[in-house]
Amino acid sequence: MVISLQKNLRACSAAVLALLGISSAAFAQMPNDAIYMSKNTACLAVSYSHSSWDKYWENSLKRENFNIGTHTTQGVMPMLAVGITKNLNVIAAIPYLWTQASAGNLKWQRGFQDVSGWIKYRFVNVSGFSLHAIAGASLPSNNYVPDFLPMSIGIQCKTATGRLLASYRHKTGVYLTASGSYIFRSKIKIDRDAYQAGDRLYGTNEVVVPNAYDAAVRVGYLKKGIQAEGFMEHGACDGGDNIRRNDMPFPTNNMKSTIAGVYAKYQPKNIGVNARAAYVLDGRNVGQSTSFSLGVLYQFRYIGKSSEK
Amino acid sequence: MKTKHIFSLKGTTATTVILATLMMVFSCSKTVNDPVASINIPSSLDENAGNWKPYVLAATSEIPVAEPNAATSAEYKAEIQKLKDVTSKITAQQREQVNYWGAGAVFRWNEIGRELAARYNTPPASDKDGKYPLPDAANPLADPKFPFANPPYTARALAYLSVAQYDALITAWNYKFKYNRKAPSKTDQSVLTLLPVTDLPSYPSEDAVVAEASVIILKAMFPGEVPFLEQKLAEHKNSRLWAGMNVESDISAGAELGKAVGAKVMARAKTDGMGTANNQAKTAEMIANARTIGTTEPWVSQEVPARPPMLPTYGGVLPWNFDRPTIVTLRPEAPPALGSAEFQKNMDELLNIAKNQTREQARIASFWSDGVGSYTPPGHWHRRGANLCHDNSFSEVRTARTLALLGTAIQDAGICCWDTKYYYYYPRPNQMSRKVKTSVGLPNFPSYTSGHSMFSGAGAEVLAHIFPSEAEKLNAMAAEASLSRIYGLIHYRFDCETGLATGHKVGNYAVQRAKTDGAE
Repeated sequence: MVISLQKNLRACSAAVLALLGISSAAFAQMPNDAIYMSKNTACLAVSYSHSSWDKYWENSLKRENFNIGTHTTQGVMPMLAVGITKNLNVIAAIPYLWTQASAGNLKWQRGFQDVSGWIKYRFVNVSGFSLHAIAGASLPSNNYVPDFLPMSIGIQCKTATGRLLASYRHKTGVYLTASGSYIFRSKIKIDRDAYQAGDRLYGTNEVVVPNAYDAAVRVGYLKKGIQAEGFMEHGACDGGDNIRRNDMPFPTNNMKSTIAGVYAKYQPKNIGVNARAAYVLDGRNVGQSTSFSLGVLYQFRYIGKSSEK
Repeated sequence: MKTKHIFSLKGTTATTVILATLMMVFSCSKTVNDPVASINIPSSLDENAGNWKPYVLAATSEIPVAEPNAATSAEYKAEIQKLKDVTSKITAQQREQVNYWGAGAVFRWNEIGRELAARYNTPPASDKDGKYPLPDAANPLADPKFPFANPPYTARALAYLSVAQYDALITAWNYKFKYNRKAPSKTDQSVLTLLPVTDLPSYPSEDAVVAEASVIILKAMFPGEVPFLEQKLAEHKNSRLWAGMNVESDISAGAELGKAVGAKVMARAKTDGMGTANNQAKTAEMIANARTIGTTEPWVSQEVPARPPMLPTYGGVLPWNFDRPTIVTLRPEAPPALGSAEFQKNMDELLNIAKNQTREQARIASFWSDGVGSYTPPGHWHRRGANLCHDNSFSEVRTARTLALLGTAIQDAGICCWDTKYYYYYPRPNQMSRKVKTSVGLPNFPSYTSGHSMFSGAGAEVLAHIFPSEAEKLNAMAAEASLSRIYGLIHYRFDCETGLATGHKVGNYAVQRAKTDGAE
């Protein structure tokens, strides 16, 4: 029983991870750990995130922009993870985001962004070693403006993600996780009927957004309600163009970033907290953001509530 | 501990099915619905176009075109034979190019002009010393690229492009009907053609005329694009041979004529005052004058570092449809005094939109934004005009006339608007309240009157005259374009309403010309 509770508490941590991608890059990094809620158990998490940059890569040129100053994206995201079986979890989330620039004249944008749903399945689990197949999809929750970058809260793609994750956890609690994903992204519609992309002028409101991929490595310690982790992530698009000289970003850009970060969680009982910080080491067509997030986790049994106690 | 399973077939299958489905949903049809223009079949030959009124040339006979060899001559027969050799060997790629240019010579070169405008429409970045380096025509591909194809620049480039095409085509029409050389396939029915053949005489080739005249203008306006333009030029001229539409002497006579007209039109461009349209030294005097006529807080750049205002003396460029003294008579009355009740009412509207911009307002603002990286409002209206000509199966010469009327009216509107802007030197709403931020990007020049509104009023006025059945729609579009600048939070309502009305007035000068140019 104790083991089962611990496992569930760990699974709660998945919630916070969802926010990192939204604020640091255009493609979502979603549930990416090897931790599961057990059957009949769910976890509700609410996180606040803050991500800001005052330098960005215009193509490969790292620059500042006095007419943006510091660009900040903040968000609040409720997320629910549900244990269907001990090897199969379902996760859903929706962030509310708002952007602002400290200088210049660009108008803030705010609103609910994309609803995402995930299925996480553990198909190998032996001697601390496990393999997981994760599938996810996201849909814009409303028609927010997608091409007023960098102020837009998202880019209106429908996405589908396939992810493979491998993990090894030693009995001391030390673990190593590696994952890789491919993200299919739908074409989008913008409000204009002409735009430039890839050195061409298009005469339509439809825009092809490149697909994306990512890879991540995590090393950490996880035992008895305590988790501490360091990670590296790399994400990029499968094609796409670059921001033109002194122009604004556009959804067709090949946004690339390499991120380093730390994550920690403390959840002695049903209620827990977690925190995450990350920094973009290198990139293209993205801001060099520093981001952090804080979350509150609440875990509960949704069937047979009393039996666990 | 429970037994651990090593591999679950059921789960893997489920995951595979999900992934496969997702791939099918998202990998299909990752192409956009970019419109493809069909081959144009002119509904009229416009036989009298040789008598239409030119813009720059004194007459359609000003530039001589030699009489071609007779259809019965050995030289012409040899040309026909050569043409047959060419058409018998064309490739799939050549056929594609034939179809591309078959949409219309003026139509395509206007489209190319707009594409170049978009490609060059980025403001220079500030350097380490907080200065904005000037684009250098002698070094067009350096940073910053030359030109910065902003709205006044693009308005002028497209006006010259259309005028050169028009003057060249009415001259070509003059000689076409003077010499009356039939199309190759009408002389020899065994010539294979890939495009519809009309009774339009083929000498000199209207395609070659348009291509050469266009390239002369576009090379001057976009000097970094010479190789691209040369390639398009060769492709266009060759496409007429591949299609079996013209023999080589049709093409070469057209090419010579196009070049000659292009040079005449460029001579006007060199002396129209554009060379001194960026006279920053004049601004101190302009600001002082604006203060004396009631602009208590003149416009200042809202960029960091402050950027010199865009083309402060563009109001002195030579207009097309009226003379320079008329510019002042078209200057609207002063905007409301800053701080007056009228001003405050307009400002309050913007403060309210700043807080509560609706999605529909954001859509309209974005649709008409035509900002950095776009072909600008003049390009937007040229596109409407070119599409209307194409949809109505206009001949080459009538398409050129329409776009010349449109292009000159739009540049005239730009000239009048810039004159007004720097006369009143009126501050943008964003300067008067930091709460007003834009959803489209803030232009770097004074507020009154709105450039979009002027361009759109003039554009709609001309197109509504040419396409009366579309008048209501066109006027509604112009009104929406005008409103879009309020919704985008960069103009007061009075900037837009006065600008739109003045734009219509400016456009009317081109309409008056249209009524007397011999084409109606």
